[in-house]
Amino acid sequence: MTLQHCGRKGLVMLKIKHFIQQSWLLIVASFFFGLLIAVTNAALSPKIVQNKINKRNRLVGVLLPEAKNFVLDTEIEIESIQGKKEKIEVYRAMSEAGECVGWAFNAAGSGFADKIELVVAVDKDFEKLAGFDVLASNETPGFGDQIKYDYYRDQFKGAPAEELKLVTSGEPKNIDAEIVAISGATVSSEAVVEIINSFLTQIKEQMQQKGQISNDRQE
Amino acid sequence: MDTLNILLIGFISIVVVKNLVFTKFLGICPYLGVSGRIDMAFGMGMAVTFVVTLSGTLTWMIDNWVLMKLGLEVTRYVCFILVIAGAVQLVEMYLRKFFPSLYESFGIFLPLITTNCAILGLCLFLNLWNINSLLEAVVVSFGAGIGFTMAICIMAGIRENLNMADVPKCLKGAPITLITAGILALAFMGFAGMIR
Amino acid sequence: MTDKSEVRTALYGQTLIAGLWRENPVFRLLLGMCPTLAVTAAVKPALTMGCCVIFVLLCSNIIVSLMRNLLKPHLRILMFTLTIATFVTIADLFLKAFVPEMSETLGPYVPLIIVNCIIICRAEACASKNGLIISVIDALGMGVGFTLTLCVLAGVRELLATGAIFEIQILALLKEGGWFVPWAAMGMPVGAFITLGLMLGLVNVITKKDA
Repeated sequence: MTLQHCGRKGLVMLKIKHFIQQSWLLIVASFFFGLLIAVTNAALSPKIVQNKINKRNRLVGVLLPEAKNFVLDTEIEIESIQGKKEKIEVYRAMSEAGECVGWAFNAAGSGFADKIELVVAVDKDFEKLAGFDVLASNETPGFGDQIKYDYYRDQFKGAPAEELKLVTSGEPKNIDAEIVAISGATVSSEAVVEIINSFLTQIKEQMQQKGQISNDRQE
Repeated sequence: MDTLNILLIGFISIVVVKNLVFTKFLGICPYLGVSGRIDMAFGMGMAVTFVVTLSGTLTWMIDNWVLMKLGLEVTRYVCFILVIAGAVQLVEMYLRKFFPSLYESFGIFLPLITTNCAILGLCLFLNLWNINSLLEAVVVSFGAGIGFTMAICIMAGIRENLNMADVPKCLKGAPITLITAGILALAFMGFAGMIR
Repeated sequence: MTDKSEVRTALYGQTLIAGLWRENPVFRLLLGMCPTLAVTAAVKPALTMGCCVIFVLLCSNIIVSLMRNLLKPHLRILMFTLTIATFVTIADLFLKAFVPEMSETLGPYVPLIIVNCIIICRAEACASKNGLIISVIDALGMGVGFTLTLCVLAGVRELLATGAIFEIQILALLKEGGWFVPWAAMGMPVGAFITLGLMLGLVNVITKKDA
């Protein structure tokens, strides 16, 4: 019995030895590579995070010129156009003096070709849109792509922060709740209006409920 | 009903609107290599569907339930490729033992699939598109495989006929296949905007 | 003594040139098609992708070549994959930190370098069998060949799609008083496939003439 016991133990030791012989390089390499990745990540991740913040600040800074920095105000859960629940971060834009000059949030939805991601800015009472900018989109160049251009975007600057309507013909210079679509790109234009409507109304409602902005419009 | 809606739309959109081959340029190497005959193409398509559904689900689970919870997102690529390689090995061993006839018909495709960009690409897209539920991940992965199979079978059908056509000598083989793929991509562009 | 070093230099030279034309990864070996089609819509992303591939190829060839005598045959591919995945992760982190706009344009195609057949094939065919210097030269040759190919394709596509190369306007657009109406199709998947197909045909014509 002792012989068998020794034999079995010897077999196990042999197996372990064989395993280590075969894969020691793999184990050492995994450790070394893991270390390499961890070090690079630790060194670069602050810069990566800063890049994201800079991008948002740069884009919204154009729309809300008095804003000097942005503070995360609340996270609001809304239902996207496809019916999914998403958490949206709403940022408060602060001027140099520390006053709130507006709000900014990301909005996204599906456009003609792929997803459209926007950053939307509103004034401090959530009454007028300060405008939007396109973070990411894959629309048809020359047609849907024009949602990035001034002809379309300027119509949103100063538009009322309520349900916007897309029209196919009209005067784009009139700043009101009617947005004139880009000819040849109705779907993309409609998509942007729908995204802004959906996100804006839900966020405004919840912000009012939370008491962040006033309900009466007498100011 | 809402879930069914989301699933159905997700499935159709990845098979047609966001087809992996024609809009995302994934899986081109096997696409060019294996689309010579319809039976080979179908076999490759089926193998890819099998592997991509399995890997998509596994990587989604690992990504959402392990990596993001532990903040280890930086190891995402390493984990994904190891999971995919492991999944392909497992599938191979399992098939060889329990379904030898199926294994024979897949032939050499199975080991080749590990380096198929479509698999890793889909796993990354699942993350990029914010797919939130496991069921949706499974449906989208399966749809991706079906889309690839459809694309490769269409190409195989066309190529079988091209063999009898008078293709200029310098364009025979990969060049004419690519040009055909371009025209197919143009056709598939018509599906864009179908899903709102 | 002189003979040996002459032979060696000749070998180095040949290995370098091979990657550029005779064994060009895209046009002759038909490897790495996915990124070729995906990132060549403009020259800037193509160049960025090319540099990433050179970096990953170099690092992976160096490591594999140093390890080549220690590799066990059945764990070989796993080791290659692990090495390549690590360096691609590092390259991706660098891109996100220093050129975030490019990182966003390239998107998921940077991690797809892991399954890029070029890198695994070079590790298998060259680095695991040859010494350090040859592996490095091979990596450089293949990498530069790949980058040049990408840039040529991207140049053609960007020129026809927007009239600019590297965002420097070359052809005067009709909108701005010129004559050129951009071919929007070139920026889309159609253009990618057709341009690559025609270029492959062209290369076939040229090489038939040589042979």
